[in-house]
Amino acid sequence: MRVINMYAEVNPEICTGCKICEKVCPILSVKVFGEKKEKRAVVDLSTCVGCGACVERCDFEGAIILKTLEKSKIIGVDPKSVDEKEITELCLEAKIHPEQIVCFCTGTRANEVAAATLLGATSPEEISRKTGVRTGCKVECIEPILRLLKAAGIEPTPVEKGWQWYGITPTIWDIPEEVIQKYSARGFYFEEDKALLKKLLENVK
Amino acid sequence: MVVKLEKPVRPLPPKQSRYGPDPDHIKTRTCDLENIVSVRVREFFRDIPESIYPSERGIKAVREATVNALTNVDMSMIKPENSVNILGSHHGFLLAGGEPYAEMLKTIRDIIADKTGSENLRLKVGVGLRFRESDEYIRRFGLDEYFGKGKAKGVAPIDEGIPIETEIGTLYGIKRCYDADWIVHAHNSDVREIHFHRHVDKAVKPFGMSYARIETRSTYHQNLGPRSANFVARAIFNSELVQNKWTFATFLKPTPAGIAGVDADNDLFALDERLTKENFRHYGKILSLLSQIDECIVVLDFQAPIPYVFSAGMIFANFSAASVDIFDLDYPLPGYTWYTEAFYGTDDRPLIPDTPPINPAIKAMVINYAWGGYPSVFWAKMIPTIVVGEHQADVFDKDPQNIEFMNHAVVAKDLQTAIEFTTRIADTDKILIFDGATEAINVSKPLAEELVEKVTEVDKEVEQKLIPKWCRQRGIKIEKQI
Repeated sequence: MRVINMYAEVNPEICTGCKICEKVCPILSVKVFGEKKEKRAVVDLSTCVGCGACVERCDFEGAIILKTLEKSKIIGVDPKSVDEKEITELCLEAKIHPEQIVCFCTGTRANEVAAATLLGATSPEEISRKTGVRTGCKVECIEPILRLLKAAGIEPTPVEKGWQWYGITPTIWDIPEEVIQKYSARGFYFEEDKALLKKLLENVK
Repeated sequence: MVVKLEKPVRPLPPKQSRYGPDPDHIKTRTCDLENIVSVRVREFFRDIPESIYPSERGIKAVREATVNALTNVDMSMIKPENSVNILGSHHGFLLAGGEPYAEMLKTIRDIIADKTGSENLRLKVGVGLRFRESDEYIRRFGLDEYFGKGKAKGVAPIDEGIPIETEIGTLYGIKRCYDADWIVHAHNSDVREIHFHRHVDKAVKPFGMSYARIETRSTYHQNLGPRSANFVARAIFNSELVQNKWTFATFLKPTPAGIAGVDADNDLFALDERLTKENFRHYGKILSLLSQIDECIVVLDFQAPIPYVFSAGMIFANFSAASVDIFDLDYPLPGYTWYTEAFYGTDDRPLIPDTPPINPAIKAMVINYAWGGYPSVFWAKMIPTIVVGEHQADVFDKDPQNIEFMNHAVVAKDLQTAIEFTTRIADTDKILIFDGATEAINVSKPLAEELVEKVTEVDKEVEQKLIPKWCRQRGIKIEKQI
């Protein structure tokens, strides 16, 4: 669940249509239209959540700014709208506790991302649009989303020419045994951390 | 032990930033309140080295220390026609006002130019979750002019990426960090996010964070574990891509009492081991002392997001995590880290039994001055929180990372009112101020007296028992200790 109280607004007098905003928008709400010098960014206000990625990376001061919505909105997927057993199975396949927080900014839990996936979302962008996950810091929660999609048998393709995300990365369960052996004495407690995560997953109701 | 209680050390004035309130709103600083005293950190622990900054010699002491540290560093791999990216992190600019780190960066640039003849020297400064923070520092300290037009830039984790093949699989770096023939790692040794890196390969961390894309950072905080997380940094550092561009590292060395010097090495792991041992002694002692506090009100009053405000060199996140010894790897989860936060269920209770709570000594938190730009709702949920002024509440309300923060906090009209209210509800007169006062710790007098009473015992325990244990856990041989 995500409260939306801001939105992005483009100043066409300053915007150069450089497309950086388009490349970094986590929910594909900004697109650049027009030819050559007429290129300008356009924000789809029906989907923009005011995460500020565009504003933070724009190289032209004032070309795109965040403004306050007169009335805030809420987006989200109720995990109760999906069979709890299916959510649990999907989360366990991804080795994530269903109640685990996957987005620290929005407080989104794995069960909400799983529910969005089970309701038909097939990419991180769609999941973000439905739940608001990955629209706070825009940094820390991409991998659990990709893990949950993978667990559902979905392998999304990164946005063409976009910088939204590039790919799924290793988890502690993928660390080769020789790496564990090589570095454990240097303070990397892989086996002990695996035991902790196993304990977490064993506590799933 | 006789420790002098002094007048409060005044913190640096508030700074203009897109992430914080207008400095004009910060009318009163916590150290201005009655009954606040200051203790010089070196009064507590006299083995902490004297600072080169601040000192009578001013900023030139940092330049001299950088020159000296780089004297024996090999730069012969850099040819005059080569390009070099000096990689930095925003965090260095939070230490002692930022000028020492800026001076170190300028000096590194000058020495590389002198020694190698290369003129294509760029500065790329990574960030945490505030993507324009480094650009603000680059402008404030004139680094854009110093390096030349377009050669000093902040880089962010959502910028264009580059895949990096590592011994655990593909991770991703920020392309602009690696778009030169050679890289120089220009960082600092502050323990800072020890709740995340647990002081395992601390010096290597920026390869998994400041210079890394979102996929890598997410791997760090969500895919591994609380004591394995920093391995992504080592994996990237050991990669062919990085090793083919590697030259040397230069680190600013803060202590809880100021800037102690600069260290540099071609061997990053050797540098890490030296810094680790020094940090165990200096930061290990001060955090162990603060961990002895049985009850207090914390006041945040510094130009940084909630977790990063400083007191005696320790950031608030460390203190909030210190319900267990966060240096000790026998404890899987500190009281605060993202793995801990993630493992709180829908009812805001831990999903794993025996999860340590947020430091129970913190009875209430007053926020007089702090930035947004870091997800902080967890603290507001766990600690009774009073925010001073609507201007400060507005920072959180408009921050995409903290939209719900004020659902769990109340607003006081001014600092004095906030402190009176908090003292009453928390039933304690012990106040610990995170205002970044350099060289000292600002606290209420009763808390100062408690710390003085406990310091001798803490010093002994850290020296005799904890440092050997912390070293053993990380494979640092006891006979090689300081």
